[in-house]
Amino acid sequence: MKNQSAAIRNKGMRQDNRQAFLMILPFLLGFILFSYVPIIYILRYAFTDFDGYSVPNWTGLHNLQRVFTKDPDFWTSLVNTVTLSFFKLLAEIPLALLLAVLLNQKLRGIGFFRVTLFLPAVISAAIIGLIFSLLFASFNGMVNSILQSIGFIRRPINWFSTKGNAMLVLGIASVWQNYGINMMFFLMALQSIPEEIYECAELDGATGLRKFFSITLPMIAPIFESVLLMAIIGSLKVCDLVISLTDGQPGGQTEVVMTYIYKFFFGKSGRNVAIGYASAMSLVTAVFLGLVTLVYVQGTKRIQGGVKG
Amino acid sequence: MKLQKYLRKAPVYLFLSLFFVISFFPVLFTFMSSFKSNMEILTTANTIFPQKFVFENYEKAWRMADFSTYTKNSVFLSFFCVVGAILSSTCCGYAFSRGKFRGKQAIYYLMISSMFVSLGTLTLYPLLMIMKVIHLNKSLWGVIIIRVFGMNVTNLFIARGYISTIPTEIDEAAKIDGCSFFRIYYNIIFPLCKPLIATVAILAFRSSWNDYMLPMVFTMTDPKRMPLVVGIMRLKSSGAMASSWNLMLAGTAISLIPMMLIYLIFNRYFVAGMTNGAVKG
Repeated sequence: MKNQSAAIRNKGMRQDNRQAFLMILPFLLGFILFSYVPIIYILRYAFTDFDGYSVPNWTGLHNLQRVFTKDPDFWTSLVNTVTLSFFKLLAEIPLALLLAVLLNQKLRGIGFFRVTLFLPAVISAAIIGLIFSLLFASFNGMVNSILQSIGFIRRPINWFSTKGNAMLVLGIASVWQNYGINMMFFLMALQSIPEEIYECAELDGATGLRKFFSITLPMIAPIFESVLLMAIIGSLKVCDLVISLTDGQPGGQTEVVMTYIYKFFFGKSGRNVAIGYASAMSLVTAVFLGLVTLVYVQGTKRIQGGVKG
Repeated sequence: MKLQKYLRKAPVYLFLSLFFVISFFPVLFTFMSSFKSNMEILTTANTIFPQKFVFENYEKAWRMADFSTYTKNSVFLSFFCVVGAILSSTCCGYAFSRGKFRGKQAIYYLMISSMFVSLGTLTLYPLLMIMKVIHLNKSLWGVIIIRVFGMNVTNLFIARGYISTIPTEIDEAAKIDGCSFFRIYYNIIFPLCKPLIATVAILAFRSSWNDYMLPMVFTMTDPKRMPLVVGIMRLKSSGAMASSWNLMLAGTAISLIPMMLIYLIFNRYFVAGMTNGAVKG
């Protein structure tokens, strides 16, 4: 009797497990197909001269050699990406943290600010690029007209005619797009700090800034780390915003790595479709992104270890 | 005493108000400009409000510039992405939380690890080629399939976390009554997931409604299939950019309104979803 009921239960269990697996299976297959197969695809064509139509020929390391020795534009785009990310995050992360600290206070009407300051984060990156390209237009742009009316500049600036200015606009638009989400991450982290710690610190005579550096920052450090990693990877992968705002103008000088490679895959901006070469560049970029992540994770581990030791 | 307190708060309010203006101004500017004539957009820079409200832009955009089609396509794309995201995240969340099959942990971590191997724009072309195999490379169905079956890691996180908080006694009771694993999902867990469904639905709506690159490469050759964002950007990259700013802005306003409304109404779910999923990852 006992054995029989156990057998039935066992059978039920097995059936349940099979159902659980079947529920995941379609998504597991889709996941492998759309996350890992593209990587295999890139690996496969990175060593060929495939142009999308003719039969691909194996060219060995030729593409990689071209990336490393004959394509300064690729490296310019990579440097642009890193420069843009660095300066943008330098402004965005402290700003997001400051706003989060302010929004974490118990003030009347704070809910209104929490809702509205997050607003840019729900707008499409492509649309943001469009809006900013109108705001920063040279003759009919709002920004020029404001700067002129407060006497900051005399003549309208042509924001998209020099690399420096265009990069500045990209940075501003990108900060505008992303500060809201980081602010919310930080706000959530701040809200998880128990009130008592601050009370204790106040009893010990700690003041505002001291409390911030001795309590707030260490308490939110774990979340800060992962938010920063996501922000770094996110800004290195920036694409939509750049395509819609400058599209590499002037003369391809503000191209970031994602937009640059995209143009080789799809033959945009007067480039020939070069799947093989684009795949090789993708490979280099993927390794670069992986290295950044690795260095970051190792670096934060070491810093943590140092603090603990 | 009281005055002193107010004085201390004043800079905080001032700073927050400044950022309210900064985050709100471009949106207001877009909406106001969408009522300007093209002439006014191109010549005057120093006014926010139009000299005369022109509603013609919307009419033109809707009728002549295909924005009615774009809107239909956007609704179509978002609808299926949202439904798909709800099903995929609750299904997988439930199976990962309650299932006991071999290799569960390994599969879970495999999926989570994709956060670090996702290559963004670099995989657009391979994705297009994969879809070409089943002849969906020129249709929004291709985008929907990639988005739904490609599994959004954030949604999976939120779903697994949420379903793990539902007490297991409930499904054990159902099991004794003879419910199968799937039956428990269908009859018990799914109806209990309403807050989760709201969050996932809103996140999926946001990303599918705003998506640009993926639907763009899938509709490149066929404007009749483009969703709103792609349609707007098509106007921008066409040679007639200067003469169609009014249409572009009207189109932008059309695409912004549903997003804004949903954000303002479901604010709570938005923020909860976007922050939870990401930080726990």
